[in-house]
Amino acid sequence: MIDTVDLKKSISIEEDNIIKEIKSESLDKIKLSYKKYKEEYKYTPLLRNIEKKYGSFNSSENIKKADSYKDLISTKDKHYIVILNGSYIENISNIPNSIDIKNIKDLSKNEQNIFIDSYSKIDDSTDDIFSSINTILHSNCLTFKINKSTILKEKISIINIVDSSKPTYFRKCFIIDKNSEISFSEEFINVTRDGNFSNSVTEIYMDENAVFNYFSTQNISKNYHFNSINVFQKRNSTSNFHTYSFSGSIIRNNLNIKLLDKSCYANMYGFYAIKNSSHIDNHTSVDHIDENSISNEHYKGIVDDGSIGVFNGKIFVRQRAQKTNAFQSNNNILLSDNAKVNTKPQLEIWADDVKCSHGCTVGQLDDDALFYLMSRGISRKDAISLLLSAFSTDITEKIADKVIREEYQLMILKELEDLNYE
Amino acid sequence: MLEIKNLHASIGNTKILKGLDLTVNSGEVHAIMGPNGSGKSTLASVIAGREDYDVTDGEINFQGNELSDIGPDERAREGIFLAFQYPVEIPGVSTTNFMKTAVNQIRESKGEKPLDAVEFLKLMKEKMKLVNIKQELLSRSINEGFSGGEKKRNEIFQMAMLDPKLSILDETDSGLDIDALKIVSNGVNALKSKENATVVVTHYQRLLDYIVPDFVHVLMDGKIVKSGDKNLALELEEKGYDWIKVKN
Ligand SMILES: Nc1ncnc2c1ncn2[C@@H]1O[C@H](COP(=O)(O)OP(=O)(O)O)[C@@H](O)[C@H]1O
Ligand SMILES: [Mg+2]
Repeated sequence: MIDTVDLKKSISIEEDNIIKEIKSESLDKIKLSYKKYKEEYKYTPLLRNIEKKYGSFNSSENIKKADSYKDLISTKDKHYIVILNGSYIENISNIPNSIDIKNIKDLSKNEQNIFIDSYSKIDDSTDDIFSSINTILHSNCLTFKINKSTILKEKISIINIVDSSKPTYFRKCFIIDKNSEISFSEEFINVTRDGNFSNSVTEIYMDENAVFNYFSTQNISKNYHFNSINVFQKRNSTSNFHTYSFSGSIIRNNLNIKLLDKSCYANMYGFYAIKNSSHIDNHTSVDHIDENSISNEHYKGIVDDGSIGVFNGKIFVRQRAQKTNAFQSNNNILLSDNAKVNTKPQLEIWADDVKCSHGCTVGQLDDDALFYLMSRGISRKDAISLLLSAFSTDITEKIADKVIREEYQLMILKELEDLNYE
Repeated sequence: MLEIKNLHASIGNTKILKGLDLTVNSGEVHAIMGPNGSGKSTLASVIAGREDYDVTDGEINFQGNELSDIGPDERAREGIFLAFQYPVEIPGVSTTNFMKTAVNQIRESKGEKPLDAVEFLKLMKEKMKLVNIKQELLSRSINEGFSGGEKKRNEIFQMAMLDPKLSILDETDSGLDIDALKIVSNGVNALKSKENATVVVTHYQRLLDYIVPDFVHVLMDGKIVKSGDKNLALELEEKGYDWIKVKN
């Protein structure tokens, strides 16, 4: 069982009464979530590693001046949001007018109520121990409000900076109003010499007809990283998630989507290419609650050296959710004898008029294909790169925007060059 | 050009080639015939450098170089080409992209500068005509969903693109109707010159009406048991492989 002394102390100094209440509720559930942990983290010993490394879950405040992080912003980005150890750094961010970002504590009572209504209803709050710890220990819940009928074509880049020798907590809450369409990309950058434990929880509320595109790039070799994204969709809304993971001591991604209404559309695509001793765990769930919704999920991974890939995909189809279409697959290529993959689909279907499919594969690089390419004069190294990047194309081609798609394809090519294959 | 002496090759514990000799000079067309399972594809793969086979004895010399330590990619750059009996399907890689990479890597290895997009397209257009293959097919994933005939034409298209010195065609006729057979043979014949050589592997005489061999060899149980001119193929067609077995 985990030590709750620090957690209790942190709650006792919370000044905002409503938030204090939310935190206390999470603490009450922590025993329950610890029980769940043993099952849900069977292949990913995150808790043990964090406790061993940090002793405590408490975070510390940063000290450096915000300006010193300016270099981390890519010149390609038009709009960017810089977040340091969980706090929004407004003076080096550049956001479009149609978005409002505020700490939940700085909102007017009226605005606050909108968020409090949704805040901490997160899907895995009762299940996941790291989400609970985030709820208790985070100090800044950043709220993003996208107003009605806002259409933003260019993606906004969220740069999360980790600069601390203690665990860091990131908390975000998005409300996407009716008929809006918006895209974000998110990245975590660790600027310390040693690793860190970064814990990020995000809630996304999508109103009718909203479209939300989200891209995540994970390349944080020394970090332990917990990332929980919880999505709630109303009628006719569409979410597109693209998760690309390349390195991390341990990365645990929870992606939970609740399709609350009729005719929702959810797409979850992921690609991982990992080496050395990286460990990537993608746990996803999609919950079809009402009729006529569609979910597509496809994750693919290349696992090299002694690295470990874990995939777990849950699909729930409730009794009311007739005419559901739910598809899921996970394909892996192992490049080394020491690499490991654990992959598991979990389907629970209570409706009868449903189209559902799932499939997992774990294989090796195709030797016949490799010989075929080499027999035309292509070097072994380039032939391997060609085959591996071809393996990734059915994931990258799901990115509708050409510029973004090419950006990710290029990123993958660069990562694949560093893999080894004997 | 190619000189094979006492070649022994096996896979795991299975001995497949058991002392094979073959000499091919530039300008020549050789046919290798033999019943199923006699080792024809194995010979073709071993010449192309497939590493799954162990060469346990003997040697292969190509243009004066012994090939044993040379990988398939380098052999291709030296001018060896294998048209596969079963061309491999590779999802996600287009033939165009594949050929662009191959042509330019071969050029680079010779110290030539890579073709730019315009030059490459010009070369492709020219070679596409030769085997009557459409660009649309080449922009799809390699061989994926191709008909048998399309796959074989794609092999000859690649051969035309790479302009090899020694081409080995492994059962390129199998699964082709007579029209496709003519297209493929015309392509091969158009590529023939005094500087290059062709080895045609087949177990039907039919193809040899279109690609006329200078020499015909019979491969049985991992060895060449009989050689002759094109009349040997006709004789085999008439009398079957048992005729040779009996004679030996
Ligand atoms: N990868 C392999 N593993 C085991 N046996 C093989 C393999 N490849 C070929 N063989 C065996 O070697 C023999 C010759 O095969 P092959 O060269 O394909 O003959 P051909 O092309 O003349 O029909 C056959 O008996 C076949 O079963
Ligand atoms: Mg064969």
